[in-house]
Amino acid sequence: MSWIDIGHIDDIPLRGARKIKTSHGCVALFRTGVDEVFAASDACPHKGGPLSEGIVHGQSITCPLHNWVFDLNTGQAKDLAPGEEGHIATYPVRLDEGRILIEGAKLASRSAA
Amino acid sequence: MKKLVVIGAGMASGRVLEHLTDADPDAYEITLFNAETRGNYNRIMLSPVLSGEKTYAEIVTHDSDWYAARNVDCRFGEQIVGIDRETKTVMGEHGPVPYDKLIIATGSAPFIIPVPGKDLPGVISYRDLDDTNAMIEASAKGGNAVVIGGGLLGLEAAAGLALRGMSVTVVHLNGHLMERQLDEAAGYLLRKDLEAKGISVRTQATTRAIIGDGRAEAVLLEGDETLPADLVVMAVGIRPETRLATDAGLEVARGIEVNAQMQTSDSDIYAVGECVEFDGNLFGLVAPLYDQAKVLAHALLDEADAFVVKDVATKLKVTGCDLFSAGDFAEGEGREDIVFRDPARGIYKRLVIEGDKLVGAVMYGDTADGTWFFGLIKDETEIDDMRETLIFGPAFQGGDTADPLSAVAALPRDAEVCGCNGICKGTITDAIANGATDLAAIRATTKASASCGTCTGLVEQVLQVTLGDEFVLPTAQPVCGCCDLTHEDVRRLIKSQELKSQEAVWQELGWKTRNGCHVCRPAINFYLLADWPVEYRDDPQSRFVNERKHANIQKDGTFSVVPRMWGGITNPDELRAIADAADKYNVPTVKVTGGQRIDLLGVKGEDLPAIWADLNKAGMVSGHAYSKGLRTVKTCVGTDHCRFGTQDSTGLGIKLEQVLWGSWTPHKVKLGVSGCPRNCAESTCKDVGIICVDSGYQIGVAGAAGMDLMETQRLCDVATEQEAIDVTVAFVQLYRENAKYLDRTYKWVAKVGLDWVQERIADPAERARLIAAFELSQSIYRKDPWAEHAQTQAAQYQPLADLTLEAAE
Amino acid sequence: METLIDTETRTFIQVTEYWVPEDGKLKLAGGNYGDLEGFASASGQTSFEKGEGLPGRAWAEARPVVFKSLTAPEFLRADAAKAAGLTSAVAVPLFDGETLKSVLVVLCSDSEERIGAIESWRADDGLLMLDDGYYGAARHFEFVSQHTHFPTGQGLPGGVFAAMTPILMRDLGASYAFVRAESAGRAGLTTGLGLPIPVPTGAPYVLTLLSARGTPIARRFEIWDARDAKVGKANEAELIDGICARDGPLWTAEGDPPRRVAAWQGLIGRVLGTGLPVVEKGAAGIPGGYDSMVAVPIHSKGELSHIVAWYS
Repeated sequence: MSWIDIGHIDDIPLRGARKIKTSHGCVALFRTGVDEVFAASDACPHKGGPLSEGIVHGQSITCPLHNWVFDLNTGQAKDLAPGEEGHIATYPVRLDEGRILIEGAKLASRSAA
Repeated sequence: MKKLVVIGAGMASGRVLEHLTDADPDAYEITLFNAETRGNYNRIMLSPVLSGEKTYAEIVTHDSDWYAARNVDCRFGEQIVGIDRETKTVMGEHGPVPYDKLIIATGSAPFIIPVPGKDLPGVISYRDLDDTNAMIEASAKGGNAVVIGGGLLGLEAAAGLALRGMSVTVVHLNGHLMERQLDEAAGYLLRKDLEAKGISVRTQATTRAIIGDGRAEAVLLEGDETLPADLVVMAVGIRPETRLATDAGLEVARGIEVNAQMQTSDSDIYAVGECVEFDGNLFGLVAPLYDQAKVLAHALLDEADAFVVKDVATKLKVTGCDLFSAGDFAEGEGREDIVFRDPARGIYKRLVIEGDKLVGAVMYGDTADGTWFFGLIKDETEIDDMRETLIFGPAFQGGDTADPLSAVAALPRDAEVCGCNGICKGTITDAIANGATDLAAIRATTKASASCGTCTGLVEQVLQVTLGDEFVLPTAQPVCGCCDLTHEDVRRLIKSQELKSQEAVWQELGWKTRNGCHVCRPAINFYLLADWPVEYRDDPQSRFVNERKHANIQKDGTFSVVPRMWGGITNPDELRAIADAADKYNVPTVKVTGGQRIDLLGVKGEDLPAIWADLNKAGMVSGHAYSKGLRTVKTCVGTDHCRFGTQDSTGLGIKLEQVLWGSWTPHKVKLGVSGCPRNCAESTCKDVGIICVDSGYQIGVAGAAGMDLMETQRLCDVATEQEAIDVTVAFVQLYRENAKYLDRTYKWVAKVGLDWVQERIADPAERARLIAAFELSQSIYRKDPWAEHAQTQAAQYQPLADLTLEAAE
Repeated sequence: METLIDTETRTFIQVTEYWVPEDGKLKLAGGNYGDLEGFASASGQTSFEKGEGLPGRAWAEARPVVFKSLTAPEFLRADAAKAAGLTSAVAVPLFDGETLKSVLVVLCSDSEERIGAIESWRADDGLLMLDDGYYGAARHFEFVSQHTHFPTGQGLPGGVFAAMTPILMRDLGASYAFVRAESAGRAGLTTGLGLPIPVPTGAPYVLTLLSARGTPIARRFEIWDARDAKVGKANEAELIDGICARDGPLWTAEGDPPRRVAAWQGLIGRVLGTGLPVVEKGAAGIPGGYDSMVAVPIHSKGELSHIVAWYS
């Protein structure tokens, strides 16, 4: 495992998000109301909306463009109409004394995933 | 009139008569025969009568008044001698009755096992009220009772006799009780419960004889065991009573054969209830009998309908024994069981699944979800999605059920419910106690919810909390799935309960989620900041991206930037700064908007703080083109340049924009000020549209030119510019305080009524209060968010980290 | 709402009140004192330590307690009771597991016309024996009851004990309807309501209220089932039985929609919501034709299992 320090939890607003750039596109980091941090693809599979601009509620994110809701644990879209499908890639992330560490290997291989 | 004769006044034929006389009271002249000397009573409630928990009077379904009102000629206690199909006549003991249509509803007869002593006095079958009364009489002497048959009927008889004070033994042929409805596990728990009630149970016991000298004294079992018995109840089963039909030459198998219209082999003779056989099935429970009755009533009125055999559910009417069974629960290939047991509480539940359908359910001890499971069986619902949690019932599938009324119940008497008229909860509950039991009466007596009406939902909930199920709450649309309250309820409770933080709202109003969702949180955020501007501060993370970023997100993820041009007036310096910014940040599109300003479209998110800083340097601020707040004030040139102008419309527009800018509102607010009735500023389709005339200013409100096109309605006319500003501010504040989030002014005014708005604005004290409240809020929000963000939060607009280089290595 | 209130003036019970523990003492939480204002105000100024007075004894002894005379020092409010003409009282402790939720107290005044019975039965080796009871002028019935015992499952006390559920019995006086029927018939007793009274120590007691036609305890009785096993996870209660002198039977037949209330909805809903009794006079939500009501929660196996209510 190669954990990369990308910043402090206070760099992300409470119930907010920031994004990080990777060579394969942006990854969004979400901070929930109880200071959990999740990492997932920034692009909504529906129309590419920037999820880091959405509303964080519970352990979910709502896309700012068309209100698709994703579970940040699984990346699975919730409450879709029949026939719709949606999933965003999620990445291992952990907190160490307030520092946010993201797992580099999975991040690097994301184009393949 | 056609003549209808009915033989048998049981539950099935009773239901036929109900349907028939309800649908067309004059269709038939009806004669009703019954062998019992009484009319229709609820036969399945005989067990509680036996136990003393009900009286016969309570279970009568049709009394003599009922029959009289329907002109039914009742011939009760009269035996039928025969049916003459040739002459279409029923031969009663006391004379013949001709028929056009005949219904045979002779029900069933108890099955008497052919053992010696079966005819001794003291041996009673359990079928009708006479049997019940005979058992009650026998039990008065106390002593021992033996019930032969451990099915539904036998066990209800046993429990009733025990409660009456007899020592009861149940003798059952099969290995476990109620084997047709229960599996062994449930049968075991039932036995345990009955034994706790002092009832002895003997399974796999065959009755050989009933012995006694002149009357029943004991029951002799296989294996030579004798059970002392002062009373023997025969409850081993029933068979259809078909004697009359057989004698009349109708087709009879085990029961009287009928088609799906309940017609026998003679097209003028119908049969219904426990005496019929349909498609090889016999019927003993009440639900299919009622279905048959409906079909038969339709057939008699020449309406198309057909009886179909459905699954039935069984319940046992023994106080303290809760069991439920439905469908088919035999084991079989391709069938899967889900079993749940709680030994401590004596609970057993078993579901039988075949493929992706539930086909059977047996429950003992906890039958709360029985009806729900029964629905799944009947409707053949696919249950694959909930297979894992199915056994825990519907409450588990749909999340927690909260108490939607607890917040209202917990309100103190002095909590203000109606803000318009200052009515407290206590005033309303007092009015209810004095007989005002609906909304109209509450409005008439207290004035609560009689003005703007936004507290209607709350008043109705107070009615329900006070009156219980006497008051049926109209269904209201809750804010979202996170709560049970409407927007209006939430607004009112935020005010009356002085809820000043999101956490307070979540807790006190019973939110079901941790911190709301994208639907409710922006609304709550607005309500809090509008009602408590000083105590609560706007939470950017509860706003949609446009309002959080102070720019409109475009479909490609870039943003648009619109600086404010006060009243649509600009100058060369501003235009130069805009042109420079467009060059510097590679803005692909520059557009003039309908709100008299310039839109820079296609700005990258990271560039926002920089472009704002550049525009700030030229003296420009955010145009709030993205917000639920004041957008633009559109003006014409007015008296300065126009030959028709009557007042300084541009000047008024600029003043209004400078007063109102930065404020948050339930939805966007657009203003227009036209210098004369030619209305070049298109003021008549704005939220507030002012038209200048020689005598002053005409102020219209609640216009719109979006999906709905609405013309403004005249709020009032005023003489001076200052008054025009005051009225506009008061109107906007009234809107901020009362409207539902995302209701434009026209929707809100339609809900509360223009009269109410006019009254509030016209009241000098209220107008002054509204203006002061708005000013208090503006002391916090009348500032440029661009400057603030460019100076203090620019970093937030950049990526948290850039790993592109690292990944490339 | 034009309903005639035809309240009986001669009721068996004059006063109903309930006491709730607060800081280790029982404090008055509600009551219906009719026009006995003096006794009402005396009660409002009284509180009871555990073991003290009638409510305190019901708490300490964890069983229903009957006082057939209300004289000091045992009865703290003796002077007020004397002034109000009250002569007897029954206190019933309502426990939720180990915790005392409240003590319900009813007070009566003896007279030759007042007939009825409030009895407490205790289980003793499979038999229910009379622990104590108040019968007004029904002396023969009192004597019979003292010499009757019920095996589990038999009679009203035995039925309630076996089923652990409140039971309502009709027509107590009809010749066949009740184990003590003959004497009950002579005493004019019509309706019997039995309810389990779980206590932290040992088997539950069974409280029975036997109402006579001339001086009724109530003219409307209701039993609501609130067990999860009946209503699921919803905090609701379903009316399972009831009888009303005005509306007739209150149960719903098979196939008809059941009558349910949710927590906080109406007076029964208030019991569900608070877990405490409701004693009200002239309150909104009391069914038409009635003036006062008492609703009592029963906590069993860790949940509020039933509510019994009576109205007059």
